[in-house]
Amino acid sequence: MIKQMGFIFNADACIGCMACEVACRNENKTFANVKWRRVTKISQDSFLSNSCNHCSSPECFRVCPESAFTKRYDGIVLIDSSLCNGCKLCVQACPYDAPQFDYETNKVTKCQMCYPRQDQGLLPACVEACSTAALGLTDLEVFMDPKAVPAIEGFPDIRITQPSIAFYPVRKKERYFLEN
Amino acid sequence: METFRNVCPRNCYGTCGIISHVENGMLTKVTGDPKHGFSRGRLCAKGYAYTQFVYNSYRLKYPIIQSPRGSGNWKRISWDDAYNIIAEKILELNDRYGSNLALSYSKFSGNIGLLHFATEGMFNSFGPHTKPFGNLCMGTGEMAIKTSFGKMASPVPEDMAEAKLIVIWGANPAVTNIHQMKFIYAARKKGAKIVVIDPVFTETALKADLYIQIKPGSDAYLSFGIAKLLLEKKTPEHHPEHLNGWEEYKNFLQNNVDMDQICQKTGVKYEYIEKLAELYHNCKPAATWSGFGIQRNKYGGESVEALNSLAALSGNINVVKGGGVYFAHGDIYDFPLNLANFPEKKHPSISQSRLINISNFAAAIRELKEPPVKFLWIASRSPLSQDQNFKAWEELFQEMELIVTVDLYMTNAAKMSDIILPAASHFEEEDLNVGYWHHWLAINEKAIPPYFEAKSDLQIARELTKRLNELSPGFSDFPYDLEPIDWIKKELTPEIKKIYGISSYKDLLDGPRHRKQIETVCEEAFSFHIPKKWNPDAQDKKPYPYRLLSPQSLLKIHSQFSNISWLHPELEETVAEISKKTAEEKDIKDGMKVRIFNGHGTVTATAKINAFLPEDVILVRQTAKNTINRLITTRLHDENNPESTYFYDSFVDISKKEGH
Repeated sequence: MIKQMGFIFNADACIGCMACEVACRNENKTFANVKWRRVTKISQDSFLSNSCNHCSSPECFRVCPESAFTKRYDGIVLIDSSLCNGCKLCVQACPYDAPQFDYETNKVTKCQMCYPRQDQGLLPACVEACSTAALGLTDLEVFMDPKAVPAIEGFPDIRITQPSIAFYPVRKKERYFLEN
Repeated sequence: METFRNVCPRNCYGTCGIISHVENGMLTKVTGDPKHGFSRGRLCAKGYAYTQFVYNSYRLKYPIIQSPRGSGNWKRISWDDAYNIIAEKILELNDRYGSNLALSYSKFSGNIGLLHFATEGMFNSFGPHTKPFGNLCMGTGEMAIKTSFGKMASPVPEDMAEAKLIVIWGANPAVTNIHQMKFIYAARKKGAKIVVIDPVFTETALKADLYIQIKPGSDAYLSFGIAKLLLEKKTPEHHPEHLNGWEEYKNFLQNNVDMDQICQKTGVKYEYIEKLAELYHNCKPAATWSGFGIQRNKYGGESVEALNSLAALSGNINVVKGGGVYFAHGDIYDFPLNLANFPEKKHPSISQSRLINISNFAAAIRELKEPPVKFLWIASRSPLSQDQNFKAWEELFQEMELIVTVDLYMTNAAKMSDIILPAASHFEEEDLNVGYWHHWLAINEKAIPPYFEAKSDLQIARELTKRLNELSPGFSDFPYDLEPIDWIKKELTPEIKKIYGISSYKDLLDGPRHRKQIETVCEEAFSFHIPKKWNPDAQDKKPYPYRLLSPQSLLKIHSQFSNISWLHPELEETVAEISKKTAEEKDIKDGMKVRIFNGHGTVTATAKINAFLPEDVILVRQTAKNTINRLITTRLHDENNPESTYFYDSFVDISKKEGH
């Protein structure tokens, strides 16, 4: 059976604590400016924790002159960095800044959805680290929730690559600010 | 690959369980301990960066000495030489003054493991010395909780998931207590309403169902306003007449609390106070969380006591899961704390140590004569990052004949010391940890050998006291033969074993243990609070126009973790958040260099416009090096009380830096 493993990001639950980003480094030992996962504030009301979205139509895959990218049976997009020639076409093509150019090795690496962990039945390190369950993992081929949405404000255009991610949006809140 | 159980010993709500992964004596990875019932197998961003905290090119490897002090002209010395220099100075001062009163130490919360009280134990073993007491951070709130309830207690934080209303006053768990958020969300999922009351629109406020911005320091006023409206909603048969002080409290609310004044003092509109009263009236159980933020000013105790009274009026101090007043608990005081309470060695003529309030340490020490303090030992803290009154500290440093700092990193205080002794990380030592928020007890195993020549506070105490006794037999009665595990066993008295349901420390090797009985508050011991002086019209004189708030940074604990590249890929920057109005008035743009100043000094920072900041507030998150505490100088009402520092009673001005 074909799978498409993907992330679920609950924007309402994410507190921007960055545990996922650093848990990724702790697991995968990426150094310096190579960030497989990043937490940013994408709008006034929402953080975003974003990595490679293991797209249905990955642009990285399409543009790579060395055919270094592959897509696994479960939808995980991988790069064989030994084939990478450092041309950075994938870096430019990806809407999500997922391919990360490593200036020490002159090669691109990126999130591999912790497939070695998944192959052992474990969750990706970022998902495991999320204390508010804002970040989840699912098979998008079977995932169905009418409350989930394909994108949230501030997330790059999903039409080009069809990222494997679903969102829960921020709910409306009531706020009182001082009138100075 | 081997794994060990560790505990994060930082001064934090979490006190999280860590599993350390070790290969060939190297820490290769850390994960959360799934058996820890509060952190539940997860860490925070800082926790996940611990391999970089341990193996870090900035970490101190060997004892070093500099001459002259502050020159940066450091030379590596052996531990042997370091002990000799320190011991000779201690003995010489003892000889000069006939006692050890010229010795003092500044030690706080860099590592809150129980074995880190070795520093206190070591000084006690010398006999009377000059001893700090109190708590810089939460002493004010602790006193207020004790005044209201007769003891220090805080409910089980996991039970917050059962609340129907959670009101968070001046705490920002999304940054400072991330593992609590899941329990708050669990309550929300079951229908609870989450309210945040804070002058700062925090990350937690962003997530709240209702956020109410309040003028800084006015929490007591708001709680009296809510209480007055809540009282009006209650029929007399629902009045808590059986509680101590009820009549006075009721009369005070009815006769002295004027809603117009409350609105003006707090800046909160009547309809929102009404809304809060409605929530406290209708939602039970209600959890009221007194954050450390509300007690960092001279009326902080009043605010915490006023919230306790509000909780009582709303019927939330009985033990119903999810209700109650959350602040912090004192589980640690159930332990014998054999190191902290190590009996002071007897002196023929001096009955006990000179006590100095840690909240005013530097200034108070300088006033001491006969003898003056001449020797300062700094451990588990960097007062030149974190304390107040830097001028007094700098003068104090000049008056010292020897300053020794024990640390893992070259802190601001370490830079101004004569000798630095490299400290072990918690992965390199044994310890026993009990937090102040959740009620779990955990053991910290030694997972890896020490980094280069680093040693634990306990090991240093053992070796230095031994050396002192070699040079001057009988100088110290510290039992330096005892191993860390002996001290751990000594903490686990039959009473403690009963409280945690363990038969030996070995049980903790299988995972942290929760208390069997939780210290709870009871209505009989409670008393309502009325402010001692109630004068809402009074205006505090502000010598400078902006109130300075200096909360925690997400990726640091005070000055710790600033050297970790995973967390801080760029050089540390001090950022001053200002309101739009301030930016307009002072012609400051985002990213500009600014000067923040007052009578105590000037700090250069980078401006950041915060559209939600109250106009008369400047917010600077804590940093390690160029620290905003340089502008903070406060004095306690009463130095005999263990109140904490009034960090948020600091006022400053701001201007563009020249060249802009």
